[in-house]
Amino acid sequence: MNKESFITELKNNLAGLPEDEIKKSIDYYEEMIDDRVEDGMPEEEAVAALGDIKSITKNILEDIPLKKIVKEKVKSVKPKRGLRAWEIVLLVVGSPIWFPLGLSLAIIAFVFVLVLYLLYWIFILVFYLIDLCIALCGVAGIAAGVVAFIQGGGPAGFFFVGCGLVCAGLSIPFFFLCNIIAKGILNLSKLIGRGIKSMFIRKKKEGGNEQ
Amino acid sequence: MENQMKRGLLDVCVLAAIKDEDSYGYQIIKDMSPYLEISESTLYPILRRLETAELLTVRSAEHNGRLRKYYHITDSGLERINSFKEEWKEIMKIYEFVTKEGEKNE
Repeated sequence: MNKESFITELKNNLAGLPEDEIKKSIDYYEEMIDDRVEDGMPEEEAVAALGDIKSITKNILEDIPLKKIVKEKVKSVKPKRGLRAWEIVLLVVGSPIWFPLGLSLAIIAFVFVLVLYLLYWIFILVFYLIDLCIALCGVAGIAAGVVAFIQGGGPAGFFFVGCGLVCAGLSIPFFFLCNIIAKGILNLSKLIGRGIKSMFIRKKKEGGNEQ
Repeated sequence: MENQMKRGLLDVCVLAAIKDEDSYGYQIIKDMSPYLEISESTLYPILRRLETAELLTVRSAEHNGRLRKYYHITDSGLERINSFKEEWKEIMKIYEFVTKEGEKNE
């Protein structure tokens, strides 16, 4: 790939980001290619040395805060012209209707996100709680067995102690399983975060080249 | 944790590469390469992070009919290098302790 097609492709991949961010990134990679060429490297090689465009895009994307991406998005959606007089009148007159409606929608959205977030942590917590219960069953089983022995119930005592030991034993590997699950869920949340970011970018690309 | 540490190290290395005189992207990569391989796409976010943190400043200067960005270290950038050196002394102490423990166990 030569420099020009590299720059074009990178530009397409970044479409939807704030203008200044795109320019900065393009300038940087252009300079890198030029410097390598000046150093005696053929252009194609210089481009190849930068690595795969997808990971370059990913790196740039990860570095820009979601807030900035959303702000840009909102800016591009906003109408360019100012509001006309009758629109302002309509907005003011209609405010008893749209204001509570908008507010309640915002609250619903907020609660929805909050619940999702809580669910996420509760999901992890539940696994550890189950593990704790198994471990407690183990302790309780052993205790019950001892009591049974004291009261003279031999076979029942053995039964309880046995159950207790099995539970206690199970709780240990299960704990490690919990750790793996928790780690998996955390990674998943990272992926989701990246997904949300790229959702904002994809939207604008519909007219341009798809990757 | 490991990533966090590498991130901190890379930041200081980039600052060290521009400590004595202003430098540009490709030169920084070349200067660092004997010690630490770093790719363009890794360097980019680091430079931006350092710029936002005001540890370095950027200026564009003409070079061979095109613009090139030169990076200049700020006073806080120099401070960052110094505090890294201090921190590292502590870490070396810990390293000594850790390796000593290892010998005892063997």
